[in-house]
Amino acid sequence: MDEQEFDRLLKVARLKLSESEKKTIKRDIDEVIRYFDKIAGVAAGDDPSYQPIRVPTRFREDRVIPFKDVELLKKGSKLREGYIIGPKL
Amino acid sequence: MASHIKEFLGAEKPGDYYSALVEQLKKANGEYHAFNQIDGSVADANNAVPFSSKANICVKGFETTAGSKMLQGYVPPFNATVIERMLGDDRFTFIGETGMDEFGFGTFGTNTEVPAKNAFDSGYAAGGSSSGAAVATALLKYHVALSESTGGSISTPAALNGVVGFTPTYGSVSRYGLIDYASSLDKIGVMARSGEDIRIVFDAVRGRDDYDTTCAVQDIRDEKKKKLFVIEELNQYSDKRIHSHFERLLDTLGEKYEIATKSIGVLGSAVESYYIIAMAEASTNLAKYNGYKYGLQHIEPNARYNEFFTEARANFGVEAKRRIILGTFIRSESVKSRYYTKALSVRSMIIKEMGKVLKEGFIISPTLPVTTPRVSDVKKLTPVQEYAMDIFTVPPSLGGFPHITFPYQYTDGMPIGAQLVGGQANDYAVIDFATEWESEFDYKYKHNIGSL
Repeated sequence: MDEQEFDRLLKVARLKLSESEKKTIKRDIDEVIRYFDKIAGVAAGDDPSYQPIRVPTRFREDRVIPFKDVELLKKGSKLREGYIIGPKL
Repeated sequence: MASHIKEFLGAEKPGDYYSALVEQLKKANGEYHAFNQIDGSVADANNAVPFSSKANICVKGFETTAGSKMLQGYVPPFNATVIERMLGDDRFTFIGETGMDEFGFGTFGTNTEVPAKNAFDSGYAAGGSSSGAAVATALLKYHVALSESTGGSISTPAALNGVVGFTPTYGSVSRYGLIDYASSLDKIGVMARSGEDIRIVFDAVRGRDDYDTTCAVQDIRDEKKKKLFVIEELNQYSDKRIHSHFERLLDTLGEKYEIATKSIGVLGSAVESYYIIAMAEASTNLAKYNGYKYGLQHIEPNARYNEFFTEARANFGVEAKRRIILGTFIRSESVKSRYYTKALSVRSMIIKEMGKVLKEGFIISPTLPVTTPRVSDVKKLTPVQEYAMDIFTVPPSLGGFPHITFPYQYTDGMPIGAQLVGGQANDYAVIDFATEWESEFDYKYKHNIGSL
């Protein structure tokens, strides 16, 4: 994988690596991709299984079930005036 | 081996049993790091068997980190379905959360800040990713562990710590409240000291759940088999020592079962297919960790959207970063059909081919291709070398087939495990195989904390 592609992936995945991390991880990733390339020779047809079992479509009643512990839910986040603080858009 | 659960519930216990248990466990945990947290309130329990949960299963009001710095401080406001069911069963009481590789990313339990240590010898790997669950089961005489496997995270640590580890059919146990790694591969299972105990816990937690639509396998079968198949494409990967131990196991089992060899060519591609699917799903599942929603609070309120997320996500460990990058690559439009779609098609073939064999009998193999490695040796492995260690545990994981690992040999003081795989939904027969094995083979433990 070339540097440009590697940097594109870091940007898409919102990851920042130190220079030493970048060197090690890039080397490992090249090795793993070579390993993954072995799959190219398998005649598997085109029949993808997204799940190992058949999952039947199941509907549930369209009604609101209020979450009971909203306060506990908010406890995990930093708040200002009752709102969760996040980054600027 | 009789059920420890039944033995415990029927036994007289001293009045200070649970408080003494907590004290002894805390002391042992200082050395083995099986638990991230021990719930002191278990000291008030009354005649119930302690159960632990892996740190990626949400427990209301209890910090649940999935072994990651990204989730430090995350206290779930709800219980996972399996926790709710265990807490609602008066035979069980919660004792704490067990350690694991970050988000389940590891074969040997070393990808976390405080790794658990092997219960037989702390210089050896505890196995991963449910390392703490296996070590806890090997430390405590009366205890069961809720754990989770994506591609071998129950079998591997169970084998390395000499306990019984059961991974059920995909979709038989609800995943609601599980911090996901790869949604089409994750299964919540059980570790214990006997097959009978595993069956009791499996029955307590399994079954339909309105919160998980993939929990669709309700009718569990008990179709005993007379044939055991050894798969050529997998067996060749065992090293000489494992090969020779496993041959002796087959000789013993040959007295009761017909042993046969089968070839399933597509299993030669199982490891790469598994890692392609697992990494693709992991990279999407980990996108939600952004520094303000769950756990780690990255406080840079003035930072722009991209910078905020990027700074926060620097807190993932190295293996997590590697898998996120690889998963993102695999899902790229230009290579998706080459890797991801192809791997999903290989999975279809595995489900079909293994399914055919499992109608005739069980598949048996070693759990790992090597004996327990030293921690120092694990650190020398490259990622590809480590992934290759999952050669026996990945095929049933891709196919959603139930499998159980059980100790069958002790060499140089360390346990060695074998793994039995059954057809989808034939979980009871798989568990009962271990129970039958235990009637003729005594498991050994170095610790029996909580003995009566």
